[in-house]
Amino acid sequence: MQEATFLILTALAGGSQHGYGIISDVEQISQRRVRLRAGTLYTALDRLREEKLIAVEREEVVDSRLRRYYRLTPMGEERLAEEAARLHSNARAAMFRLAPSEGVTST
Amino acid sequence: MTGSSPLERRYRALLALYPKAFRREHEQEILSVLMAAAPEGQKRPRMGESADLIRSAILMRLRQTSVPVSWEYRHARLMLPVRIIVGVWLVFLTAVLYGHGHGGWWGAVLVPAATLQLYIAYRLIRPPAQAPAPERREQL
Repeated sequence: MQEATFLILTALAGGSQHGYGIISDVEQISQRRVRLRAGTLYTALDRLREEKLIAVEREEVVDSRLRRYYRLTPMGEERLAEEAARLHSNARAAMFRLAPSEGVTST
Repeated sequence: MTGSSPLERRYRALLALYPKAFRREHEQEILSVLMAAAPEGQKRPRMGESADLIRSAILMRLRQTSVPVSWEYRHARLMLPVRIIVGVWLVFLTAVLYGHGHGGWWGAVLVPAATLQLYIAYRLIRPPAQAPAPERREQL
């Protein structure tokens, strides 16, 4: 799973959001390291919807602009959990080897 | 509608590069995001933003193409070397023809052909999510 995909799914794990909301949330989650651009975001959203990992929750019009809210599907939650577990275990292994004494005590 | 600012018109022109179905589905939302991200008084799309839109549009169009066909995905192990060899051969041929000053119109045929072969090879290595799975051989 690409990092952008992982971050988008993580953003939606906290509740449904619209496009701009996802961009700001991803920026926050990644500590300002990843700023998604509109083209990339919607290519990813379109693909994730096709794979049934996310779904449209509702639409609203604010200031004559369309806002579409996306949410994680149960399948999306599952995939994200698997991926998070995989990354977590890799990261733990790396930290453990770099600093064995700290690796044991960290959660 | 606020549909007539110069910035929005320019963004719309870029979005015209996307496949029709994608535009019908997402054009309004993408515009909202682009306009929300634009600071007051911005007149034209920023470079990075435009490059990203163009790149994504190409990706979306490629995703819709039906090459490689499903048979090829199922026989990826056989076809991948074939595609790579043919692709590299075509690149080589192009280089030789140009090297001898015979490029010209041949390039117009050979370069797209080589690109297609290498694109298919790339797709076989990284299949899209909905591609048919390759046939599994029994492990000895």
